[in-house]
Amino acid sequence: MNESNKELLNCVNVSKQYGYFFALKNISFKTEENTIIGIAGANGAGKTTLIKILCGLINPTLGKIVIKGMDYENHSNTIKKKIGISTDESYLYEELTIFENLKFYDNLHLNFDKNSIKTKIEQFASKFNLTEWINEPVENLSHGMKQKVELIRVFMHQPSILFLDEPFSGLDYNTTKILIESLNEMRDKENVSIILTTHKTEILAQICDKIIVLKKGKISKSFTKEEYKEIQIESYF
Amino acid sequence: MQNKDKDQKSSFKLFKTILFKDIKSEVRQINDLFSIFLFDIISIFIFSSVYSFSSQAQNMPLEIFVIEVWLIIFFTLIFLMSKLFVKEKESGTLGGLLSSPVSGNIILVSKIFYCFILLSIVELILFIFSIFLSAPSIENLSFAQLMIFITFGVLLPTLDLSICGSIVSAFSMYVKNKSFVLPILLFPLILPITTSIISLNIKILEGSLINDLFYEVIFLVAHITLMGSILTLISQTLLYD
Repeated sequence: MNESNKELLNCVNVSKQYGYFFALKNISFKTEENTIIGIAGANGAGKTTLIKILCGLINPTLGKIVIKGMDYENHSNTIKKKIGISTDESYLYEELTIFENLKFYDNLHLNFDKNSIKTKIEQFASKFNLTEWINEPVENLSHGMKQKVELIRVFMHQPSILFLDEPFSGLDYNTTKILIESLNEMRDKENVSIILTTHKTEILAQICDKIIVLKKGKISKSFTKEEYKEIQIESYF
Repeated sequence: MQNKDKDQKSSFKLFKTILFKDIKSEVRQINDLFSIFLFDIISIFIFSSVYSFSSQAQNMPLEIFVIEVWLIIFFTLIFLMSKLFVKEKESGTLGGLLSSPVSGNIILVSKIFYCFILLSIVELILFIFSIFLSAPSIENLSFAQLMIFITFGVLLPTLDLSICGSIVSAFSMYVKNKSFVLPILLFPLILPITTSIISLNIKILEGSLINDLFYEVIFLVAHITLMGSILTLISQTLLYD
């Protein structure tokens, strides 16, 4: 972890209400640059809602998110250029091929150089063992393969912050290993900060610098890297 | 100044990217479009055969022909609306668009043009089939009149309907009973322009000159401006949950 400890994201008193139900209540935390933050919790604890609010996909009922000193209300597009998002929903167009999907999303991040897009797609496809499938429509792929394409989509535009919701679900052992290596490499070499949710607490222990545990929409505990190795995280779910 | 030009170029490229993606997706799922064509052709066939059977007339009066065609176009619009934002929301891909650095207005404009292109293709097929099946009593139109008909009688109303369709599709994407809400929301929006569209079409096909179409055209342009302004003002609120 980098020693500079610059503030990257500030989640200020965020609450999200659906009717009478509070999915999140007064969530506040800060993260620094070049860190991997894990958000843990049981089903329905509010992990996905929190990550969708953090990446600007849904608006909080109360509170605000500040990323590198900018909030979504005034600097939405500037923030979105810097972030990469993968949630529980697939953002891939089933009828388009892997190549077409990745090219489309790279174009949306204002990269229109055909050659550089092609090179990038080929490099990522090779890394995730998808070279043979590159011209195959996404509807013909298995769940695990779609998950890999989703990850490539997120990594392609070289974001400085990654938001990943359950990135390890549906991945086999080798791909999980590749993903963990990629995330560590992105943090250490490319200074990317990562916020991810997962049920797999053993993975949290392997890669996260900090863990936030959610319970019924509230933060029940947060651990630093040094603390949580000694503690059973599930006991706070 | 240079930054403004660059922004405009990027916006246009983003608009093109989203529009081409939609067209490519549509071509890959061409059966959906065929089913809409089939609905239109069958509707024309039923309408024409019922009319000729009951009236024993060889040619359909112009007024009935225009009403028949535009009634089918309004119903076709309901099918097409579900292809705009509703489809993106249901397949989960809307999140991909909203999480990208693309403004809500660009997404909306690309969807309006996508709807405009689809509706124009459907109208072309509909008019060709309806002329053969309904045999309307239309005098021979000169080339200039035909151009006036295509521009003011078909394309201008189509643009208006595409804007209304996009607003309704964006409004209803977060609603549970979409199939119920789509027509309920659409009809109040298009009701004020139906009379103008029908009257405009009848006048042009009767051979009226452009000077006689002034009020209908102005009314349509005003409606387009109003709907476009509403869409621009509420685009951010519409697209985000």
